[in-house]
Amino acid sequence: MGNSPTELRRTDGSENPKRRAPQDNEKIRRLKARSSHGLYVMALFIAMSVAAIRDFDFFPSFPPKIHDLLGQPPSAEMISTALLIYSFSAIILVLSRMMSGSEKSGGFIQVAYLAGFYFFYHFVGTMEENFWAVFAAGMTILGLESYQVWTWCREEIRIQEEIVAGHERNKHKDDKPN
Amino acid sequence: MLRTLSSRAIVPVAVAVTGFVVVCCILLYSVMKTDMVNYTIRHETNLTDTVIKSARYAMLKSDREMLCNIIANVGDQKGVEHLRIFNKKGLIMFSRDPGETGRLVDKKSAGCISCHAGPVPISTIGSMERARRFTNERGVRVLAITAPIYNEPACFNAACHFHTSEEKLLGTLDIGLSAAPLLKSLAIIRSRMVIFSIMVLILTVGGVAALLRRQVFIPIRELTEFTSDINNGNLNSELTGISGELSDLADEVRAMALKLRNYEQEIQELKSARIR
Repeated sequence: MGNSPTELRRTDGSENPKRRAPQDNEKIRRLKARSSHGLYVMALFIAMSVAAIRDFDFFPSFPPKIHDLLGQPPSAEMISTALLIYSFSAIILVLSRMMSGSEKSGGFIQVAYLAGFYFFYHFVGTMEENFWAVFAAGMTILGLESYQVWTWCREEIRIQEEIVAGHERNKHKDDKPN
Repeated sequence: MLRTLSSRAIVPVAVAVTGFVVVCCILLYSVMKTDMVNYTIRHETNLTDTVIKSARYAMLKSDREMLCNIIANVGDQKGVEHLRIFNKKGLIMFSRDPGETGRLVDKKSAGCISCHAGPVPISTIGSMERARRFTNERGVRVLAITAPIYNEPACFNAACHFHTSEEKLLGTLDIGLSAAPLLKSLAIIRSRMVIFSIMVLILTVGGVAALLRRQVFIPIRELTEFTSDINNGNLNSELTGISGELSDLADEVRAMALKLRNYEQEIQELKSARIR
């Protein structure tokens, strides 16, 4: 970080190992931090689920004016169908990302979708019957996403460590007197 | 954690399939539960209508003894937890439990509050809103229905002239049936769904594991053993039984081993020629 491309290269055009090493180590550190990102997302979802299992009883209920403004909520069957389609497509998306070795992940956006389902069930008044469906869907999707990001990061870390080891070998070779 | 190829292949598939099956089962159970509860409510509503129609003549004739008998006989049916008729002031006039007669019903209690929430009570209510679920003093889960007994021309035109035509509601019939059969059916459905989910998990994990073992892991093990033999100097080792994409790799490894064997032979021939 902060090194210009010329500093990173020798006069013969090859990489300067002394300059590359801190950058590679920083990349490994960032990858390690990112590999545990999925756990934070899951922790947020579990915290939200704790609130949902209590049917958000610690929040003040909306005044009737807001209820009127929001209009009639969709039926529980419609929300359940949407949840089923969402779960299926999210799982397929995560599996396809796993297959292609992509680094992308939904992360907090998935938590926002799941929060939407919790709120809709809350407004319809069928949270008790449907809480575990949203929870199971969330744990499956976020668990798979965490695993996908974790495996991708592990693989990248392994590649970076091999690069660092290669640089170290080159450095020792350069330091040896002729 | 998850270092082996088999665990890396099986865990995501197992999590995805099991998670989705669990979500489907919970949603299906939720829909089935709602349908069964609604069916039970409709069944109970029909029962209350039957009781009201059976008691109609006794009420018209103001035959209290006959009405008491009807209430007692229906109330003795298996699964009936309570059966009572109270007037619009909430005073229990007839009940399966004689000790209840003459008591006042709390208008704020479940089953009454749906009509008595506002300053003016609601006179008509849908069949689903008439139902309530609670646990009674004996610890039995009860699904109860309250059915209004409306004033009819036959009532206010009767010779006794007890009710005027302005009175819309004469009283309410309240019947509570044990929810035990419904809960038992739901528990059976729940356990069957759990068994179904476990079976899907076993089949998925077992199927993927068996296919991976047959198609990938056994050929890889054979390749590893073959290369290990070559590495240890056993150049006469054989590599067989590999199919699919791995057969190309097996061919390359075989070719390398054959070349090594030829070089080894050439070296041996050169050595023996030099000795001679």
